[in-house]
Amino acid sequence: MQFQNMAALAAAGALALAATGPAAAQAPFANVGKQVDISILINSSPWFGGFEKIVDLYEKQTGNKVKLDVTPYGGMLEKGRNAVRAGTSPYDILNLDALWTIEFYEGGFLKPLAEIDPTFALPAEVLTFEDSNYWNAQQRWRTRDGGQLMGYSPNGNIHVLYYRDDLLKAAGLEPPKTWDDVAAICQKLHRPPGMYGFITRGEKGNPIRYDWTPFMQGAGASIVRAPKDGDYTVTINSPQALQALDRYISLQKSCAPPNVGVLGQGDVIQLLATGTAAQGLAVIAAWPTFDDRQRSAVVGKINTVVVPAFPGRNPGVAIGNWVFAVPKNIPAERQRAAIAFSNWFLTAPAQRAYAEGGGIPVRSDTFASDLASRPEFRWMKAYIDSQPFARQELGYAEGAQVEAVLGLRLNQALVGEMSPARALNTAAREIEAIFQRGGRRTGQLTPLPE
Amino acid sequence: MISEFANRTFKHWSLWPCLGFLLALSVYPVLQLIPMALSTIEFADGRSVWSFTPRRNLDLLLGDEVLRDAVVNTLFFVGLSVAIEMVLGFFAALFVACMPRGRTIACTVLILPILLPGVAIGSMWKLMYNYNFGLFNQVAGVLGIEPINWLGDTQWALLSVVIVDVWHWTPFVFLILYAAIESLPQEVLEAARIDGASAWQTIRLIILPLLGPALAVAAVFRAITAFKAFDQVYLLTSGGPGTSTELLSLHLNRVFFEQNQIGYGSMLSLAIIAVISASILVARWTSAHLERGDRAGAGR
Amino acid sequence: MIPLYGRTAWIGYGVVALAILFIVGPMVWIFVNSIKFQIAIFTGAWVFEPTLANYKEVLFSRRSDLVGNLLNSFVAAFASTAAVLVVGSLGAYGIHRWHRRRLFARLLLGWVLVFQMIPVITLVGPWYLLFHSLGLYNTLLALVLTHITINLPMTMWIMLTYFNEVPVELHEAATIDGCGDFTMFWRIVLPLVVPGLISAGILSFVFSWNDFAIALNLTARDTATVPVAIARFAQQFEIQHAQMAASSMIAIVPALLLIAFGQRYIVRGLTTGAVK
Repeated sequence: MQFQNMAALAAAGALALAATGPAAAQAPFANVGKQVDISILINSSPWFGGFEKIVDLYEKQTGNKVKLDVTPYGGMLEKGRNAVRAGTSPYDILNLDALWTIEFYEGGFLKPLAEIDPTFALPAEVLTFEDSNYWNAQQRWRTRDGGQLMGYSPNGNIHVLYYRDDLLKAAGLEPPKTWDDVAAICQKLHRPPGMYGFITRGEKGNPIRYDWTPFMQGAGASIVRAPKDGDYTVTINSPQALQALDRYISLQKSCAPPNVGVLGQGDVIQLLATGTAAQGLAVIAAWPTFDDRQRSAVVGKINTVVVPAFPGRNPGVAIGNWVFAVPKNIPAERQRAAIAFSNWFLTAPAQRAYAEGGGIPVRSDTFASDLASRPEFRWMKAYIDSQPFARQELGYAEGAQVEAVLGLRLNQALVGEMSPARALNTAAREIEAIFQRGGRRTGQLTPLPE
Repeated sequence: MISEFANRTFKHWSLWPCLGFLLALSVYPVLQLIPMALSTIEFADGRSVWSFTPRRNLDLLLGDEVLRDAVVNTLFFVGLSVAIEMVLGFFAALFVACMPRGRTIACTVLILPILLPGVAIGSMWKLMYNYNFGLFNQVAGVLGIEPINWLGDTQWALLSVVIVDVWHWTPFVFLILYAAIESLPQEVLEAARIDGASAWQTIRLIILPLLGPALAVAAVFRAITAFKAFDQVYLLTSGGPGTSTELLSLHLNRVFFEQNQIGYGSMLSLAIIAVISASILVARWTSAHLERGDRAGAGR
Repeated sequence: MIPLYGRTAWIGYGVVALAILFIVGPMVWIFVNSIKFQIAIFTGAWVFEPTLANYKEVLFSRRSDLVGNLLNSFVAAFASTAAVLVVGSLGAYGIHRWHRRRLFARLLLGWVLVFQMIPVITLVGPWYLLFHSLGLYNTLLALVLTHITINLPMTMWIMLTYFNEVPVELHEAATIDGCGDFTMFWRIVLPLVVPGLISAGILSFVFSWNDFAIALNLTARDTATVPVAIARFAQQFEIQHAQMAASSMIAIVPALLLIAFGQRYIVRGLTTGAVK
């Protein structure tokens, strides 16, 4: 088994070499012509290595130059804002967290791609993650219906459930399909402090808000009723949302370590990689760690499935993708060079090389290719099976404020500073006030009994 | 010639460079906060659109529930960490200054932490505090103590954050006080020794009063930097769990940057500046009065 | 030196030893992490196979430019420290000699104190706009100018306390001897406040060396400083502790050497002041 894995990896490596080696000498994946130098604002991340390799390949094939300004995640938003708000932007492509896109779309900082090159079109195979790369200014919503194409995803993060294949097999258990399964597996395997049954983030702010979202969506709850149609009635204190929160808290309380109230992404990965957690809900971007001998004690032992569901419902899968976009305040030739790179990057062979270099590709045909059957890409099935359920949240200008409210109140419910019902009622009140200030049509449900 | 000219005009130009820096890079940006604090700023077509809404921003300020927790936490954090750092820093400086040998090495070692960036300190201490694998709980395990939930327990979290600050900044106090102690007049200390004063008497009656200005400088500047503490706390807890380690600087960052509320963020900044200025004025006024009272008492 | 004897001496050594243990313990721990693979850090292992891979990666991999970052940090820290000592001591002396009790001086010092308390994050936005419009974005000059500004308050306050210690009679005597203002400052007063210059210099250097928020916003890849480079290891989904520890250790070495070698001069400087 061990040896086979190694052999497969070696073969994959040889293939990758064979694919990229001569490719440099071959014709480029797309003919883009001679372009001016561009620079990209991008964050350091587990998928950055893959992206850097693909940029090198682009430079080799086309002779065009791409500079990468690798920035800590914490500084990305501010640097992006600085770039577009005054003078000429130092960057030609901005990598934007989907949560920030509304601010940039609505502020009119970006150039719609068709205005740069009327012939530019996204290949049909490119995943759009609920149209997060389109903007309909009248409706103030991200949709391709009447919306303009503003960019595309270089990386589409979603949640998957990580589990210890070896432990589940040894105990004769199937991978979980529902949260009840998760609880049952946890009960069987939970042996703290050496083994925690199930973990996900509980840290205040974006971490808990984002990692609770699959529970919320899966229980049929929502934050607002129908923002797409302009109905901003706050529905976060619904009985379904309470069910989702109760489920989340009871799982975390009975299966996760005691410091769950500050458990962040690093901790979740650490627990899984050290073989101290049997199941964990986390983003697909965490994957590269687990098969790396320098970083993991569970190489080859972890697998993924689609996020579990509530009985009789669809699973909830929260999207956390990135969007590449071109700022308005740069000269036309640099905008054209950015488009040229984009055309090349979205071709099927480029995406394949991107995946082989350690990136998460964004073309559905890459996932359908022979890559998916290789052991090191065993995460691909859960990823592509999740796509029909994947949903965006907070797609409105007030998103960041709503997230701050939820991120605090959910965390207070988790650490016991507030009851779950009171936390949701408080959040509903505060979110309604935010929408009122924003001049939206809003309201709220009858409060939950506390 | 040149020196003569410099001599004649020195009185006038000595202040210019610092005035230039302060006006261009401090007064000007802070003045910009004032119109922003009275407005709501949104963006359309790549330009900012300002609307005059002082009431709205003031209402946000008064209705900000998290702000109250942040103020209380900040006062506790600043008070406790500065107090501990002053005491530790003073005694470390005093005793290092008394060592007949090895002072150079002791000094070099004791200022190591201020050479590390806050981000690195935050992430390293987070690892040490880790509930399952961290250094402290491993040591606790060896000693037979129950593992402590350093950062995840609302009772412990703020204290854990204070400990990191003490580790990081006691060296600062040490450095200032060590420099001051080294330049104390030797004759006075010698005289005290000859008069048969005990070590404790020398410290209390001679060294402490002479160190007054240095102690004040160290305390004021520690209080200021503690007040602004951001990087480490952001990495350790980002204000959680709940609001137990939410500091003013974290809250300001949340409002200003994460939520992009430029108007309210500016209002909050100005409110903080106003409160600080007021408390500095009150402190100076009180100390001036006390001093006057002392002098009057001594004169009698 | 204050001589200690008997029990007090033992207490003294005890305190220093404890302080050193408290400081050194975590430093050693960070060093140990820098020679571990990430998995050994994760498990908190005591027995592990040491490796230099992290150092190799942060020094030689194409992704990292730590040597360049160190150079940038040095230029910014040295230039801003030198400049702030000049600007700050001139300003403090001006206030001390000619404006001590005036409203102007009080306003200036009050402002300096208040300014020091403003969280830097509220200033970086306006600074970016200013330097961008001057064409200084992504230059070390912009960084140096802002570092001078943030370190000016501390330098001025430290220098003021030292100027206040200079005996007034000295000024009077020098004036009677026909000594001009600048000559007096340069030849007589400044040598007396060398300890102050040294403390202010060390602290300015350290603050500039460690600044993260400003450097992050005013620099890009070519001009990034060490803290920005180290922060890159704190990714959105994962903190690369091993690389972070290795780069922290590397970053500390030059500053440490500087201070260790500077010690002699520092101590000499401090005692020069004591002779007064």
